[in-house]
Amino acid sequence: MSADTIVRVSDLHKWFGMLHVLRSVSLEVRLREVVCIIGRSGSGKSTLLRCINFLEEPSHGMIEVDKVKVETNGKGISTKKNHRQLIHDIRLQTGMVFQEFNLFPHRTALENVMEGPITVKGMNKADAVRIAEFNLDRVGMLFKKDEYPLRLSGGQKQRVAIARALAMEPKVMLFDEPTSALDPELIGEVLNVMKNLAKEGMTMLVVTHEMGFAREVADRVVVMADGEIIEQGVPADVFNSPQDARTQALIERYHSGGAR
Amino acid sequence: MDSESLTQPDVQQEMGIALVALQRRNKTIQQIKIAGVWVALVAVLTGGLLLLHIEPGYMLQHYNIILQGAWTTIYVSFVSILIATAIALAGSIARLSSNSIAQGVSGFYVSLLRGTPLLIQIYVIYLGLPQIGQQLTELGFPTIGRMFILDAIPAGILALSLNYGAYMTEIFRAGLQSISHGQREAAIALGMTPWQVMRRVILPQAIRIIIPDVGNQFIAMQKDSALVSVMGVWEITYLANRYARRDSKYMEMFLVGAAAYWILTIISSWLQGRLEKRMGRAYER
Repeated sequence: MSADTIVRVSDLHKWFGMLHVLRSVSLEVRLREVVCIIGRSGSGKSTLLRCINFLEEPSHGMIEVDKVKVETNGKGISTKKNHRQLIHDIRLQTGMVFQEFNLFPHRTALENVMEGPITVKGMNKADAVRIAEFNLDRVGMLFKKDEYPLRLSGGQKQRVAIARALAMEPKVMLFDEPTSALDPELIGEVLNVMKNLAKEGMTMLVVTHEMGFAREVADRVVVMADGEIIEQGVPADVFNSPQDARTQALIERYHSGGAR
Repeated sequence: MDSESLTQPDVQQEMGIALVALQRRNKTIQQIKIAGVWVALVAVLTGGLLLLHIEPGYMLQHYNIILQGAWTTIYVSFVSILIATAIALAGSIARLSSNSIAQGVSGFYVSLLRGTPLLIQIYVIYLGLPQIGQQLTELGFPTIGRMFILDAIPAGILALSLNYGAYMTEIFRAGLQSISHGQREAAIALGMTPWQVMRRVILPQAIRIIIPDVGNQFIAMQKDSALVSVMGVWEITYLANRYARRDSKYMEMFLVGAAAYWILTIISSWLQGRLEKRMGRAYER
């Protein structure tokens, strides 16, 4: 483990009933690294991401984010007593962006971004407005700050959702298929925001089907199949000379236009 | 640029404006026709009653008596709906919790109060509880014993609150469950505690869905509050009944009473509509 490792996943298992969706997954992410996780639907890539901030409770294994470590034994029960506090600490260090945006429909764009700082961090309103406006500007959405989500396009919603996660000043951003619910012509604006974040040096874990984005922006591409990491490396290696047959099939589909 | 391309958009816009005006006019005509039907129905009913020697003079003389009762009706149903809402909020959260005691208690409450008639609940609280109070006093707990003896109005409010609280628990439960799981996840990912998720994200959205049903319950309660007249509470129904018997003017007095409830519910429906509109602000395109 190198000194600047920010996320560490070790021997992670997840069962949904009888279904073994993660089979001993181990992964380390360094500070400022952009890691794209690719794989077919059902390969376990979203579950892996959701285990990192405990939206899914791991069945077994260790998750560590910014030196906050949570170990779970084989019965799905944490070995530590202050389990809930540790999970809370991890959630404060991770920002999550969902496929379906999940903006709060009863709040304006600005209020959506202010919600975390005010409710979770207990920040006063003036400071929260300042932070929210800064982050809306960062994703190019300041001009719609007083609109309710219903009046925003999918791409605009997702950009506000990214600002909402950024406003908590997380160490790591988790993206769970952030463009999969978007119309093709709206994907670009979201990917651009993500590219800018990567340039700013944000640590990012991105589950995606956007092979072009992975190839261009990722420092490392992780390929998952059947609940395991089957291959990983710099994009050029993974895309140009995939080792595993399943990776070859995935890349093949991308090149033939079967996957975006 | 030739003249045709300049005038073309104007022609289209004029057509649009004319169409919208026509639609509005048709809608207004429709509404006037419907109002006409209402007026005709009222006229036919009034005419029929006059033919049958109903005395409008008597009705006019006694409307102010009903007005006195209306305040009690409004007071009883308003306080009851507030308490019922609080019960429903707690009850629905309990029903959805993973705590088996909370689930058990709330499930039992809903089943018992929805499964028995409101009239019997009123009798049990007003006439039954004092019996228990008596026993407690005899056993040497006079202070607790006295708490079981309720006046008519508190007893009525308690019965209505408990009864409607049970129905509304189910309404609230459905409202809370209708908020998508993604909303909860987004809030949790921000680091909110379960209580914060409920208060800041789930409840404000659920309330918008629940409001129309709470309005319906309130309207129903205004009329169910007539049942508290059995305890001698001087509300609309009690007063109507009293004068009807005294003067043998049953049709007159009960019509005045019915009209009072009707007017109350019309006002309530109007208020409900305004409230719904206000709550829906974020959802207007």
